[in-house]
Parts: sequence; structure tokens; C-alpha cells
Amino acid sequence: MVRFKNRWLLVEFVDTSTVDASAERESSSTRPLDGRLIYNALRDSVVTNFGDTGWGAVGMSLNVKYFSPLTNLCIIRVARDQHRIAWGAVTLLTSIHDIRIIPRVIHVSGTIKHTQLSAIAHNREVIARFRTKLKNTALHHDSYDDYLARSTREIEALHD
Amino acid sequence: MHFDLNFPVTASGSTSQPKKNKNKQPQQSSQAAFTPAQIKGIEARLDLLEHLGYTVIAFNQSVNKKIDPKTHVNILDGLLQQLRARPGTVFLKRLTIVLDNDSEKGFGLTNANASLVEPYDVIALLPTTPATFSLACLTHSLPSPLTAHIVALPLTLPRLPFQLKHTLVRTAIKNGAVFEINYAGAIGGESDASLSTFGVSDTGASGKRNWWAAAREVVRVTKGKGIIVSGGVASEADYRGPKDIANLLTLLDLAQNLAHDASVAAPKSLILRAQARKTYRAVLSEPRLVIPETTQVVAPIQQTGDSEKRDNVNISEKSSRSSPNPALTLPQPAGSKKRTCDEVSLESTANRHVNKKIREAANAEGQSRRKKKKGGNR
Repeated sequence: MVRFKNRWLLVEFVDTSTVDASAERESSSTRPLDGRLIYNALRDSVVTNFGDTGWGAVGMSLNVKYFSPLTNLCIIRVARDQHRIAWGAVTLLTSIHDIRIIPRVIHVSGTIKHTQLSAIAHNREVIARFRTKLKNTALHHDSYDDYLARSTREIEALHD
Repeated sequence: MHFDLNFPVTASGSTSQPKKNKNKQPQQSSQAAFTPAQIKGIEARLDLLEHLGYTVIAFNQSVNKKIDPKTHVNILDGLLQQLRARPGTVFLKRLTIVLDNDSEKGFGLTNANASLVEPYDVIALLPTTPATFSLACLTHSLPSPLTAHIVALPLTLPRLPFQLKHTLVRTAIKNGAVFEINYAGAIGGESDASLSTFGVSDTGASGKRNWWAAAREVVRVTKGKGIIVSGGVASEADYRGPKDIANLLTLLDLAQNLAHDASVAAPKSLILRAQARKTYRAVLSEPRLVIPETTQVVAPIQQTGDSEKRDNVNISEKSSRSSPNPALTLPQPAGSKKRTCDEVSLESTANRHVNKKIREAANAEGQSRRKKKKGGNR
């Protein structure tokens, strides 16, 4: 049987302003990033770096399935044979809409199941990091709990 | 365990905004101190590197044309003292000498300047002419207190100025040197500021195109074996995680396992070899003399070539009969065998603290990976 195989990329966009303590600009709480912007930026990146043939190889199957503005986590689906081109295009992305970001691919998998697990684990790590910054104890309920519950549900609702 | 062996540090002026005073070497004889703002910037970048997963970082000081004992200032010692210590990260010091036409007659990497060069852990050469390239590959990759470990190549110049000759490259790799690919050129940001003032790099769209062409050529000539990939990144937003870089290398026609080696295994053996520079001719282990209790005088046999220790030779000859004692056989001068450095026991090398830290870093990462795996399977 010739099945159509996919690769699911779990990408985190590391924002340089939150990691870089010496930057003067503030990170706005309402990030203007969303799935559509990412798709457009990715498309431009593929076309500039790999040309029209690159986009032809990747474009039919490229799909941004999920994006969370709070943790900057993105799930992208590509066909398996060309996933390296798409991965390269993600790496060579330097900015989306004039915001400089560092894309980091955390996990690549062939099924959605492991991507979901990895995404949920990553969300938990990021929330834990936020909480240590605010120096809350683990039992303290704050808005992050709702966010975690909601995002877990959203992620698990993803399907092929 | 991932390595970034090119963290550019410049003498006066912060690393992220290219400004004043880049062209001159610092003239003062005292150590250049770093202002608190610069330290903060550097710490922030180190945080980012840690977040991306790099554990071994080498600070790189670039020098143009030649090192001059009169004007050269080691800025990295002062920097290291001012940075806070991070458990799980190892810092190294690296010196890069940019070679061009003026350096053909000699650029100071001689025995007389050995004391200048000693505090650095790794030495790199960046040739820009065919003559300097052959110099770098042939004479300077032989093991000695002055070897250059890395041959860095200016990948963004239009038309790589020299042809990478297969014979030269093969000799260099056999001697243990590695060729370096800086991935900053692919991302296209302002690459290493000091390099551009030395006229070695080119930024913008043409720089990116040249990078792809030149890097592909390097991979082809070396067949993927003696390559390390490192940062060379001037502005923070150009850093990328190690897996992403490995993927970029596969786009250069490098096999997946070799791409992974280029960022993990090759730098590791390079650093081990760099420690060999502090020893005599790359001999890493010390012969350990074991004297057993019974002392019987036996007719001396020519076993070890050491004529001063004759009595001990007698005694130890007996012990070597009783139990195979590998410690006594003097290791061959490992001139052209870089792989022996890997197998040699790490405990008897000069830089014990670096080894311990590398092992700790590896353990820490192994543990954290294991912990993460446990958490993910629910």
C-alpha cells in the first residue's frame, strides 16, 4: 500500500526580547503572530531560499495546524519526502512581520500522537518557567492553569 | 552535548552592535576590561545558547594578519573572570588569526611567541590566499605546541579565493586539523563584525549565495569527515539550535550521520586534540611506573627505551611478566594519529578540569534527557 506519509514539526519561536535581558523594547503581551502570518512567512522563506521548485515540492502539503501565542509553539505538517526542505526554510526564517525570532524545531515525528505528547510536555515546561519567574509556588492557582487545560484540549483535538 | 566553538568577542565595543574601534588592536598593555553593559549582553547571549542546548562554548578572539607580542592583548582571560560560572557549561578560549598576503612571510606562530599563544585552548587560522591555505594545511597542522587546530574558511566571499585542493585537505585531516563552517553566513545576518572589518566577509544576499556554494564545496572535498560547524554569529537573532543546523547541513549533500557528527563528535575530538598541544608532540598519556615489592635482579632486556631508569626496568620487567602492565609501554608519538587521543584514558592529561567538566556536562545532559523522556510517556 502506498500511503501518504507526513512529518509533523513542532517548532518553538524563541523571542529574543524575552531571553535577552538587556533589550530595551518590551515584548507586547498581545503578540501579533498567528497561524496565517506564519504560513505566509514560511512560504516567502521557501520561495527565496529554494525557489519556485522548492515551493512546488512543499506547498501542496504544507499546513500550519496549531499555534499558541503564549508559548510561541507551532505545529506544522509537511509531506515526509520533502520535510527537509520545509525544515530548512523554517530554520532560515529570520523575522515574521518585522519581529526577529529564532525558530527552533523541538520535535519531528511521523504521527500526530507523539507530536501532541511532545507539545503538551513543552507547554508544561514553558509554564513552569513562567511560574519560576513570577516566583509562585506550584500550588498557587493562576491563569496559567486555565491556559494549560485549554491548550491541552486544543492540541488533543488536532487530527490528521 | 553540543558545541559552539565560535562565539565572537571583540576587544572594545559590544559584540552585538558593531561600533567604534574595531580596526585597531587594543593598544594598552593592560588587559581590556569589559563594561557591565557588555557583560550583560554576553550573559544574555549565553542564556540563549544554553536555552538552545549548547553546552560547550569557545570565546573567539580574532587577530588580523599576525600576532605581535608587542600589541597583542589577551582579552578573554579578563572576560572569563567576569562571567558568572554556569554548571553544565564549559567555556573555552580560542584565537583566530586571519591570514592574507602580508602574512605569507610568517605571522608570529613561532616558538618565540609560544607564551602568547599558550593561554588559548584552541587556535584557528583563516587563510585568504592559496599560499596561506597551503601553509595552514601542511605545516601548521602537525602536532606541536603551536599547531592550529581549526582551519576556518571565509565562506561568504564571492568566489572562494583559493581552490580547495584535495591533497592539502586530506593531509590536514590526517594530521588532525578540522575545517570549520560558520552557519551565520547561511542565515545572512551581519556576520562576525571583526571579520568584515578585516575585509573577509560579505553580507547580504550575495553573501548567502556564496555561503551555500562554498560550504557545499567544503563538504565535497572533505567528504564530510573533518568538518565542524560553529556559530560565528554576531547578532543574537541569528542563533539556531543544533538540530536545525544539522538539517541545514543535510541540504548541503552531507549524510545525516555525518551532519550529526559535525556538531557533536568532531568538535569533541578536536578539543581533546587541542589539549594535546600542551603536551609534547601530542602524546597524551604518561607512562606510569609500577614498582612491586619483590626486587629480583634480572638481566636487563631492551624493552622500554629509557636508559636512565635501568633498575626500574629490571623490576618492572618482572612485574610485566606477572601481570600485563600496559602503563609501562611508552606510547608512540601520535603524530599523525588523531584517533588515539580519543581512546587514551582521560585522567592523565594536563587539563583535568576541562575533562571533568566535559564529562559532567555530558552526564547532566544525559540525565535531563532521561528525565524528559520519563515525563513524556503518559
